[in-house]
Amino acid sequence: MNLSPTLAGHALARASLDACVKCGICETRCPVMAATPLFPGPKFVGPQAERFRQGLSVDRSLDYCSGCGTCTLVCPQGVKIAELNAQARAVMKAHHMPLRDRLLGRTVLMGKVMSPVAPLANAVLRLGPVRALADSVVGVARQAPLPVASVQSLGRWLAQRGRSRANGTEVSGPDDQTGCEPDAVGRESGAAKRGQVVFFHGCAGAYFEVETSIKAIEVLEYLGFEVLVPAQGCCGLAQQSNGLFKAASKSVLKLSRALRSAGPDLTIVSASGSCTGMLKHEARQIMGVDDPELADVSYRVRDIMEFLAELDAQGELPHSFQPVDATVPYHAPCQLKGQAMGLPALEVLSLIPGLTVTESGQACCGMAGTYGLKKEKYAIAQKVGAPVFEVFRQAGASLGLCDTETCRWQLRQGTAMRIEHPVALVHQAYGLGTCLATD
Amino acid sequence: MSEVVVIGAGLGGLMAACELAGAGLPVRLISQGEGSLSLSNGTVDLLGYAPDLVWDPLSRINQIAPPHPYQVIGSDNVRRAVAALTSHLPDGYLVGQASQNQLVPTALGAWRPTALLPASLAPPQPKDQSRWLIVGFDRVKDFYPKLVAANLSRTKIPGGGRVTAIPVRIDLPDNPGLPGGDVSAMTVARAFDQPDFAAAVGRQLAQAAGQAEADAIGVPAVLGTAGHDAWRQVSQAAGRPVFEIGLVPPSPPGFRLNQLLLARARQLGVRLATGARVTGFQANQGRIVQLTTDAAGHGQTYEPTAVVYFPGGFESGAIAMDSTYNLAETLFDLPLAGLAPVSQLISPSYSPNQTIFQVGVQTDKAMRPLTDGGEPVYTNLYAGGGLLAGAIRWTEQSGEGIVLGSAMAAVRGLLDGIGQDLEPKLAAAHGRRTQLSSSHPGQTPNWTDGAP
Ligand SMILES: Cc1cc2nc3c(=O)[nH]c(=O)nc-3n(C[C@H](O)[C@H](O)[C@H](O)COP(=O)(O)OP(=O)(O)OC[C@H]3O[C@@H](n4cnc5c(N)ncnc54)[C@H](O)[C@@H]3O)c2cc1C
Ligand code: SF4
Ligand code: SF4
Repeated sequence: MNLSPTLAGHALARASLDACVKCGICETRCPVMAATPLFPGPKFVGPQAERFRQGLSVDRSLDYCSGCGTCTLVCPQGVKIAELNAQARAVMKAHHMPLRDRLLGRTVLMGKVMSPVAPLANAVLRLGPVRALADSVVGVARQAPLPVASVQSLGRWLAQRGRSRANGTEVSGPDDQTGCEPDAVGRESGAAKRGQVVFFHGCAGAYFEVETSIKAIEVLEYLGFEVLVPAQGCCGLAQQSNGLFKAASKSVLKLSRALRSAGPDLTIVSASGSCTGMLKHEARQIMGVDDPELADVSYRVRDIMEFLAELDAQGELPHSFQPVDATVPYHAPCQLKGQAMGLPALEVLSLIPGLTVTESGQACCGMAGTYGLKKEKYAIAQKVGAPVFEVFRQAGASLGLCDTETCRWQLRQGTAMRIEHPVALVHQAYGLGTCLATD
Repeated sequence: MSEVVVIGAGLGGLMAACELAGAGLPVRLISQGEGSLSLSNGTVDLLGYAPDLVWDPLSRINQIAPPHPYQVIGSDNVRRAVAALTSHLPDGYLVGQASQNQLVPTALGAWRPTALLPASLAPPQPKDQSRWLIVGFDRVKDFYPKLVAANLSRTKIPGGGRVTAIPVRIDLPDNPGLPGGDVSAMTVARAFDQPDFAAAVGRQLAQAAGQAEADAIGVPAVLGTAGHDAWRQVSQAAGRPVFEIGLVPPSPPGFRLNQLLLARARQLGVRLATGARVTGFQANQGRIVQLTTDAAGHGQTYEPTAVVYFPGGFESGAIAMDSTYNLAETLFDLPLAGLAPVSQLISPSYSPNQTIFQVGVQTDKAMRPLTDGGEPVYTNLYAGGGLLAGAIRWTEQSGEGIVLGSAMAAVRGLLDGIGQDLEPKLAAAHGRRTQLSSSHPGQTPNWTDGAP
């Protein structure tokens, strides 16, 4: 692959490089540079090396960039550092893409294969020898956190719920071992007082983190929205971050069509913080996909906590929250922060009486999509994550919060705590049955 | 009450945000990137030259020749602002006084005036015949102990005499985080975050200072990335006063200060939106009613009660010149003062005193930008810091004073403007020294700080 500077996204990012004044602020914040001497840092591999690339690959150290995007956020001059890095990485890997990176890009495939046989698949993935084989042959670190497939996919839950609604019985909500009795009225109302929204579940939300999707849908329905869930595929984020731009572009365009098929002008809501970022930012700014359908979806999509915060700003979010007497640590994932909308989860959770949320204040947990799964990056990713793990452990709670799936896997492994999406606490506080934080 | 939006996360924006949140207002802080704090050495320069060396900055502020931002800001706001800044930082973090400048050595071995500074950067009072060891560390760039020592030794100090500065280079202990070759000051500073490393270097310093019979030790400013813990560990092991000498940007002491103020803003409940540039606004009846950012996807809109605008100056793109030499303020298109034909603004000689840096915005006492007719452009827009007209801040060493003073004036103007008598609350907030819960291990120091 030869990324010509005329490619829309690349031209934009490249145009920003002359704005670099070499202040080094990006270097003070790059979490990978702080964790390993192998990585020369954002200024070096970004605006500096880009001058020499002319569409070619000039340095391999670039591969250590995790793509967390922190550098772009902190650069006062608006240099698109992380975007330049991602584009250059795609060129670098074009001719020798590791099998592992192709596989890690195939999130739907993984989910489809694992979900029906979840107990078996999960058990197999726990087997030492299997992981050792994956480690040496494929290059997925043997200690890396891999997802636990859910027995019930979101599709099955929705179908089952549809059937039981048709014959007048309500299925139970998320499968909570600790389960509180749901006491909120109107959860089954179906009477959508506020119109329709489209739910974008993402691959993980369909197969691995199904509970989060269910809770998000139930919160939306409780608020009076009719939730449409059109058949949808993968956004291609994992392909993008592994440099597979062609496949990723195909995925994201197909997804855009699917999400638009539910109806024009509807708000699209997602509980998958990183996939939302792909639609809003990465697909356009990194891959330079210039397509009216994507632009439309990108404009309409909202992270679930962003959506709730917007409702609140308009005075339309009921504050009928039950107290949650707990202190809970929260980490805002890099891919969420990259959307530059601030931290809506903190704003919404601040409305829940009794609840104290401590923010990690760290740039990245180290996972950065699939970076932390890779054998040669695993140790770095753990080191990047260590300060986040530390904040979580110090909070002295059993529950922690984080908006994206792979980061939750990383935090679960790093802290041995229960890690949930912030919407789970909203679900609990609205009395919808979840009972997570009680201490 | 709806929120106040502060634009810009430099020293000005951070201070204003902390003050307003401390007074109990809901505050959102939007910034395209970080401000210039981590490029600085964390010193608080109020007025260093006017044009001769100034010893009593606070009393000189009101006498400065017009046009100058200090004329609207006034020394009272600067004094209050310095007190407020101190209150947002750990006890003893800053030393010095607003009323009196002191001299500190630079990385070129010159003496420069500043009013307050991080305790780690404060050398002992220089005396005739003081013996100072000036230590270079291997791999730390842009710090040449021989140059520093030679210049310090040949410069007369106030009150007469000279210090005797003795240069020495030492090799830092092996450390996995510290590779050979080209490393940045921040990478070295991270190694000092490890107590063992800091203590080991402290012992090396003790030995070198013993041999040189030195009574104080100056080192490049790489002693840790968080607070003053590393500096204290090094000093303790060295057994004598150790002081840091500021480096070229990005500088660890500026980074530490930035971290502390960001943590303070979080603690006070300021809502941070980083990485978003405010690109549009709407006004109605002379008030800003809406702001729009370039956030990914659909942008974000905010409906603030008031806007506090501290976007910096030319350096951050808040004022820009186009290809036809037209100068403009880039967000609100505010009227600029100090305009002149380009040949008068930019001198072809390489000099930091380019008149163009005096171009900026003029305000009333409440820091509201003014039209050419002298009326506030928007009644709820307050601005300051690097945006202000009339000063070349690095030449007169007045950068932090103008930023802090204008932030204080803007906060007070805003509280007046929204008709809330919140000043008593503000004063109370300064008195209440809350303990910062350590939500940033490895980054936020213990919230009580003092000299070793
Ligand atoms: C290299 C350098 C060296 C200096 N040396 C000295 C010195 O030795 N002594 C001295 O006294 N002074 C010095 N100064 C001056 C002094 O540091 C500055 O005047 C002061 O720090 C400016 O602070 P500020 O808060 O106004 O702006 P800045 O620190 O520049 O912060 C501006 C903030 O606004 C943000 N921003 C701008 N526009 C937008 C927008 N549209 N939307 C969102 N965010 C926006 C930026 O991203 C940034 O966060 C120096 C300045 C520089 C640049
Ligand atoms: S922060 Fe931006 S301007 Fe500064 S060195 Fe990095 S890329 Fe360049
Ligand atoms: S994207 Fe993240 S890891 Fe990569 S250079 Fe930027 S800050 Fe560093």
